[in-house]
Amino acid sequence: MQWSMNPDTLGAYGIGGMDISGVIYTYNPIKELEDDFVVIIENDKVGGGFVWQDKEDWSGKHPIRIKKVIPLAYTPLALFGKGRVRTTGKGTVEDVSVIYMFRFDSCFNPQSDPSCPGYVKPKPPAVPKIPDYDALEDDSVKLAQEDLDRELLEDDEEVKDEDDEEDDNSDIQTLLASTTNALTLANQVAQSVILNSINNATNIGTYYVAKIPDSYITESVVLQGGNIVDNRKALRSLAQDNLMDKMIEEQYK
Amino acid sequence: MNKLLITISLILGAIPVLAENIDITGNVQSRCTVNLDTPGAYGNPNAYTLTTAPASAGQEPIVRFDVSLANAYKAEVSYPTSFSSSPSLPDNVAWTGAVTVAQTSTSDMSGYQAASSIAGSKRTYALTVAGTTWFKSTSIAVYGGGQAKAFPGGAYKAVVLAECIAQ
Repeated sequence: MQWSMNPDTLGAYGIGGMDISGVIYTYNPIKELEDDFVVIIENDKVGGGFVWQDKEDWSGKHPIRIKKVIPLAYTPLALFGKGRVRTTGKGTVEDVSVIYMFRFDSCFNPQSDPSCPGYVKPKPPAVPKIPDYDALEDDSVKLAQEDLDRELLEDDEEVKDEDDEEDDNSDIQTLLASTTNALTLANQVAQSVILNSINNATNIGTYYVAKIPDSYITESVVLQGGNIVDNRKALRSLAQDNLMDKMIEEQYK
Repeated sequence: MNKLLITISLILGAIPVLAENIDITGNVQSRCTVNLDTPGAYGNPNAYTLTTAPASAGQEPIVRFDVSLANAYKAEVSYPTSFSSSPSLPDNVAWTGAVTVAQTSTSDMSGYQAASSIAGSKRTYALTVAGTTWFKSTSIAVYGGGQAKAFPGGAYKAVVLAECIAQ
C-alpha cells in the first residue's frame, strides 16, 4: 500500500506551508500466532532515506489491533516523499488508517494573502496595444461609400411616389370596407330582429301586420376615382433581378 | 563608716531554644492514567435483553490506559453486574459480560489478554509495557430469571469500573 503526499491525499492543506508534527496509524494484523510477520509503515524523505519509519514485529505474537502515535518535530511537507505500508512474513493487514497531524502556515507564500508579511502588491497588467483605427481605410466604410446604383435610386423614388398614391387608394379602400361592413352589420341586425319577431309570433296573422323596426341606415356609397389602381411596384419588383445580381457579385469582391 | 553597698546586678541575657519544622516535599507524577475513550450504550434487540453488542444497536464502552512506566501498574476492568439506575425491577436480571483488549500501541502488548486473570466480573491485566492499551467491556442483561420477561420501560444505566493500581 502506497500513497502520495499531495492535496488528493491530504486535502486542501497538502501544499507548501504544511508542517507535519506526527502520525497516528492503526491497523488490524491478520496472522497466526506462530507465524513470523513484520509490518513497516514509513514515509520516504526527498533526497533519500525516510522522514519516519515504524516497525512492528508480530512474530510469535497474538494479532491485535494496533494504534500508534509517532511524534515528529514540525517537518515541512516538502521533505515528505511517498508513504507506504509494507509487510514481510506470513500475514496481512486490514483496516489501515494513517493520519498526519500538522500545522499550516497560510503565509508560506506571502502573495497568497495581502495581510501576510512580505506581501508585494502585484503590478497591474500591461495595457494591451490597440492599433490605430483609420475609418477611411476600413473596407466596410469604403464599401458603404461606393457610388450607388442610380437606376435603383430612381426606381426607389418612383416607387415612393406610387406608394403615396397607393396609400391614398388604401385609405379609400379602408373607408369603403368600413362602410360595407357597417351596412352588412346593420342588415344582419335588422334581419335578426325580424327573425326574432317572426319566431315570437304565435299567430301567423301578426306576421302580416308586423312592422320592421327603423334600424336600416340608408347611405349612398361613392367610390372616389372610380377604379382601384394596381400595385405596379410589386409587378416591377418581381420582374427585376438587380438586387439579386448585386448580391451574387458581392461574393467575389 | 560608709558602707558601700554595691549592688551588683547580673543581667543574664535570655538565650532562646530554636526549633523548626522542616517540610519535605515530593511529587509523584501519575505514570498511569485512565480515560474514557468510547461511552457505552445498550441496545434492546428484544423486550427482555439489553446488550452492548453493536449488532444489536449497542455500543461497547472502551477505556484507555496510558502507562509511562513498565511493570509498575496493573489494570483492573470489570463489566457491570447491576444497573446503577433503572425502573423498579421486581424480577431478576441475569448478567453476562467480558473484558478484552481492544487495541494496543505496540505489538509487545499483544499478550496482555492471554496473560490476564479473571475474578468474577473483573479482569486484571499486568501492564508490563509502557504505552497505551484500550480495554473493551461488553455486557448483556437478560430480565425475567429465564422467563424472558420484558424490561419495564424507562432509562437504564450501568457502570464499568476501570482502575489502574500500582503493583
